[in-house]
Amino acid sequence: MAADVKPFIGSKASPHQESEADELRKEHLMLDPMPRDEMNQMVMEAMTTTTRNWWAWVIGLGLAVAVLLFGVWGYMIATGMGVAGIRRPVFWGIFIVTFVFWIGISHAGTFVSAILRVFKAEFRRPFTRAAELMTTFGLAAGALYPLIHLGRVWVFYWMVPYPNARWLWPNFRSALVWDFLAITTYLLSSTIYLFLPLIPDMAMARDRSTGWRHFIYKLLALGWRGTEAEWFRLRKAISIFAFAIIPVMFSVHTIVSWDFAVSMVSGWQSSIFGPYFIIGAILSGVSAVVTILYILRSTMKHMDYFIRKEHFDALGKLILIFSMAWAYFFFNEYILAWYGGDAALKQVLTLHATGPSAWVWYTMLICNVAIPWLFLWNKKVRRTPWLMFIITILVNVGMYAERYTIIPLTLGHQRSPFDWGIYNPTIIEVSIALGTLCLFIFLYLIASRIIPLVPIWEVQEGQMSHTLRKVGKTEIPSVTELE
Amino acid sequence: METNVRMILFKEDQVDQASEAIETLHHHGISDKDISVISGVPFSEKILGRPMSWTRVPQIAVAGALFGFIIAMLLNFLVPNLYKLSVGGMPLTPIPTSIVVTFELTMLGLLISTFLGVFIEMLSPSFGPKGYHPKISDGYIGILFNCPTHADEDTCFELQDLGAEIVDVSEVKQP
Repeated sequence: MAADVKPFIGSKASPHQESEADELRKEHLMLDPMPRDEMNQMVMEAMTTTTRNWWAWVIGLGLAVAVLLFGVWGYMIATGMGVAGIRRPVFWGIFIVTFVFWIGISHAGTFVSAILRVFKAEFRRPFTRAAELMTTFGLAAGALYPLIHLGRVWVFYWMVPYPNARWLWPNFRSALVWDFLAITTYLLSSTIYLFLPLIPDMAMARDRSTGWRHFIYKLLALGWRGTEAEWFRLRKAISIFAFAIIPVMFSVHTIVSWDFAVSMVSGWQSSIFGPYFIIGAILSGVSAVVTILYILRSTMKHMDYFIRKEHFDALGKLILIFSMAWAYFFFNEYILAWYGGDAALKQVLTLHATGPSAWVWYTMLICNVAIPWLFLWNKKVRRTPWLMFIITILVNVGMYAERYTIIPLTLGHQRSPFDWGIYNPTIIEVSIALGTLCLFIFLYLIASRIIPLVPIWEVQEGQMSHTLRKVGKTEIPSVTELE
Repeated sequence: METNVRMILFKEDQVDQASEAIETLHHHGISDKDISVISGVPFSEKILGRPMSWTRVPQIAVAGALFGFIIAMLLNFLVPNLYKLSVGGMPLTPIPTSIVVTFELTMLGLLISTFLGVFIEMLSPSFGPKGYHPKISDGYIGILFNCPTHADEDTCFELQDLGAEIVDVSEVKQP
C-alpha cells in the first residue's frame, strides 16, 4: 500500500531523488499512507477527546442558542412581529437575508462531495464529511427561517398539503411552495448522503468503542461487515446520489432565487438570478468549508495529518474561480440593468452605490471580488491556513452583504418614491440571526465528537491508488483507478 | 459433504496474496458461493477474481422515482381540481409551474428509495458463509469459506504459505 518510489532501472535512487519523494509525501496525504489501524486510532482519539475548552464552548453556545434564538423567537411569538424591523415598504429583512445565506452555505457539502466525487478530484477525500455536515447543519439553520418569518408559526401545518376541513390547499403555483418542496428534498437527501458513506466508518467506530457509543455505532452501522455485496451496493447508492443530488442542489438555490425573480420588483426580476445565486452559494459554501477546515485542523487532535496545505491550496483556487464567476454574473446583471435605462431600476442601482447604505454594497464588492483577486492568485497565501481562514470569513461577510443588498436595500427603493424607506433591523432580528450561527456551530461541535469527521475508508482507498512514478529524472504522483 | 466455516485474514498490502488464496480455494473445489470476502476498503470483484455482486438498488431507485412522479402528478393535476383555488384568472393546472413540483418530488422519491434500497438489502438475509472480525475495519482482507472437513488441513497449510492468518473459529463473530 505504501507509496512506491521506483528508481531508475538498474540504478538506485539518489539522495536527491529520495528527498524529492519525501517532500511529495509531506505535501500530499494520498502519498503519505499510514497503516489503517493507526488512522482509525487517530480519528477515534480526535472524536473522543473533549477538553475543558470544548465543554466551555458547548455550554456557552448552548446557552446562546437557548437565549438568542429560542428565547428571543419565543418573545417575538408572544409579542408579535412588530418587534422586528420589517415594515412598509420592506417586509423581507434579516430573516430572509439569513435564510438565503444558510441555504447558500449548504451548497458546500454537495459541491465538495458530489461534484468533486463525480470528477474524481482526489484532494476531496479527507474533508468530504466535514463539508457534508455543513450542508446538513446549514440547511437545519436555514430551514428555521421560513418558520421564524411566518410569525404565526403555530399554523405552520396549514402549508402542508393534505385534505382538510378548512378547504385550504397550498398554491403549487407559488415560488414559496416550491421553496418548501426544494428545501425538504435537499435536507432529506443531503442527510442521507451524509449517512451513506458513514456506514463503514460507523462499523469502524463500533469495533473500537464500548458503552453508549458502542450501542449507537452498532445501531447506525446497520450490521456492516464489509462484504463484496455490501461495498457494491454502497458504491452504487453513493454513485446514484452523487449524480442525482447535483441537479437537486442547483434546483434549491435556483428556486430560492425565484422567490425574488418571479416577482415584479425592480432589481429582482431577472433571468440570470438562478445561476447568479448558485455561483454565490458555491462561493460562500466553499469558503465556509475552508473556515471549518482551519478550525478543525487547529483544534482537533491529529487533524493536521489529514488536512494539509494542499487542501487549502486547492480550495483557494476554487474560491478564486468562483469569485471571478460571481463577478461576471454581478457585472452581467448590472450592465444590462444600467444599459436598459429603466428609470426605477437605475434608481435602485444608483442608491445601492451612493445611498445611505452604500457601505454594504462596497463591503460586498471588496470582500467578494477585491480580496480574493488580490490574494488568492498567490500560492503562498493559499498555502497559509490562517490567512485562508481570514479571507474565507471575509468572503462570507461579502456574501451576506450581497444578500442584504439584494433584499432590504432593493425593496426600500421601488417604483413609487413616496413609498421609499430605509430598513433598520432590530436587536430581535440580529439576535435571532446570531442565534442560528450559534446553533450551527453548536451542532457542529457536538457532531465532531460523535461522528468520525474523516472518511477513513475513502482516505485509505485513495492512498492505495496513489503511487510515485519515475518519469525521466523525477518522481511524479500517479493515480490508479481501483473502481 | 461435511464442511467447516473457516476465516483467513490478509494484511491491507497483501491484495495479491488474497486473490491467490481465492484461486487456491477454487483449486480445492470450493466454489464462489461458498466463499465470502470482507474488507475494510472496497475492492472491485475484478481485483480479487470474484464473480460480480448484484444489487437491486438501482431498480428500487427507479421505482421510487416513479412513485414520486405519480405523487407529483396527483398534486399538480388532480388536487387543484378537487380544491379549486382561482388566482387572478391564472390556469388551474399550468404546465410550467408543475415542472418544478414534478422535478422535486421525482428526485425526492429517487433519493429516498435509493437509501431504502440499501437499508432493506443490508437487513435482508445474505448468502454465503457468515462471520466478522474486528480486524476488518483495520484494513485487513478477510476470506470466509466453507471448507470440506477432509480437505481442511491441506487447504489451511497452503493458505498459510501464502501469508494468511488463520482465524480461530471462536473469534469469527457477527458484528
